[in-house]
Amino acid sequence: MDLTLIVVLVIALALFFDFTNGFHDTANAMATPIATGALRPKAAVTLAAILNLVGAFLSTEVAKTISGGIIREGDGGVLITPELVFAGLIGAVVWNMITWLLGLPSSSSHALFGGLIGAAIVGAGLGAIDFPVVVSKVILPALLAPLTAGLVAYAATKLAYAITRRYDGKPDGRDGFRYAQIFSSSLVALAHGTNDAQKTMGVITLTLVAANLQSPGSDVQWWVIVTCAVAIALGTYMGGWRIIKTLGTGLTDVKPAQGFAAETATAATILASSHVGFALSTTQVASGSVIGSGLGRRGSKVRWRTAGRIGVGWLLTLPAAGAVGALAALVAHLGVGGVIIDAVVGVVVIIGIFMWSRRSEVSHHNVVSEVADSGRAVKIKRNPKPKRKAKK
Amino acid sequence: MIDWLDFLLVLVSALVGACVVVSAYALGIRLLTLSGRTPLVTPAEFTDAITIVTPAEIKAAAKRAAKAAKKSPLTEGQKRLALIGAWGCFALSAIAVLVGIYLILGEHLTRLVGGA
Repeated sequence: MDLTLIVVLVIALALFFDFTNGFHDTANAMATPIATGALRPKAAVTLAAILNLVGAFLSTEVAKTISGGIIREGDGGVLITPELVFAGLIGAVVWNMITWLLGLPSSSSHALFGGLIGAAIVGAGLGAIDFPVVVSKVILPALLAPLTAGLVAYAATKLAYAITRRYDGKPDGRDGFRYAQIFSSSLVALAHGTNDAQKTMGVITLTLVAANLQSPGSDVQWWVIVTCAVAIALGTYMGGWRIIKTLGTGLTDVKPAQGFAAETATAATILASSHVGFALSTTQVASGSVIGSGLGRRGSKVRWRTAGRIGVGWLLTLPAAGAVGALAALVAHLGVGGVIIDAVVGVVVIIGIFMWSRRSEVSHHNVVSEVADSGRAVKIKRNPKPKRKAKK
Repeated sequence: MIDWLDFLLVLVSALVGACVVVSAYALGIRLLTLSGRTPLVTPAEFTDAITIVTPAEIKAAAKRAAKAAKKSPLTEGQKRLALIGAWGCFALSAIAVLVGIYLILGEHLTRLVGGA
């Protein structure tokens, strides 16, 4: 197949993936401030789109992890071809769409890594994968980042409530946290741009290196940064309109103080992780924060069954997307015909699920399901009595 | 080779950063309330059925806040000091966010600006 054509195909698919990432993840940043009344929906969505765009320009560490870390670069360039990157992307997109349709908790980032790893192993052997980098920059952060975010959110929520608590029954002013949420949710949107847009930049850079259009280890090109930033911002904006149309009931009981603490924890964890090149799932980090902040409220308990279901969904994503990516790579190995079959299957799945989504009613279940589900993993008592009595 | 120091760096910087930002803002709210200016969020119009606070609720909350402010044991001078302190805390919170972003992304930003 013509090299230019396959490179263009991969870039188009990668940008589509970036768009869906923004479309899907608007809820992570903006569902809470909209639900608590901190921001009007239109303002929230516009702000999220702009900050995702800005965030995409702020760092390239995660892009380097993907373009030059996960896939081993040999003496003559990377061991995989653009066709294999295409197969990996198809694996990620198809798995993402399937989990979205079935309502399974998943992570688009891990679907991307899984798809790429699966396709690379089938197409170029185990030697194509730099396993120490995969473990240190993808798998361990996937396990530790939600825990970190949860711990930070727990501590921040405890502090927020302790500092503002009134034992005399007078107004505590916690409504004021709604204003703070404008900034904390903006920070989450910015952090999302710094981590998620870079994943696509990494994939495009990897493709350019694999096609010998860029030397291994070189920086991400400026046009790649710009196109990825625009794609994720557009996706955020479009996804946000869907939320405006539908968001109403069903969100977990998130109080403004708790929401502020959770969002600050999410943003701090993602920004710090982007700095050291950890390729995280922002959905998992946001979910960890929501659970942690829920536990930070008095009288809360973990619903282990719900938490376990979410955890299993997350653990399954990487190997499952890897299997789909591997299958797509096997097909792509057939030559031009194989790549065409992959492309057709990918397009059919995307169009089919798009049509399905147009037919089915859009509700909070398929818009904010993952982060909201995480909130349901914590049972919170309504208005627990303060432990200390007021001084008379 | 797993660099455990990176994980520790993420944990410590996220923990310190988030706790400083949230504590400073919470302290600002506490001081603002003490100064007799309890923050209240007025009802917003939404495109669908979200109702966060109704006009009746906000009226009742404003009444409660005014009553509490009237009964405050603080003198006018102390209230003014609390108000200044509150705005100082909000500013500290904002500065902490900006410093945090600069510490995390500053190197890249400097390179970006330098390269342009």
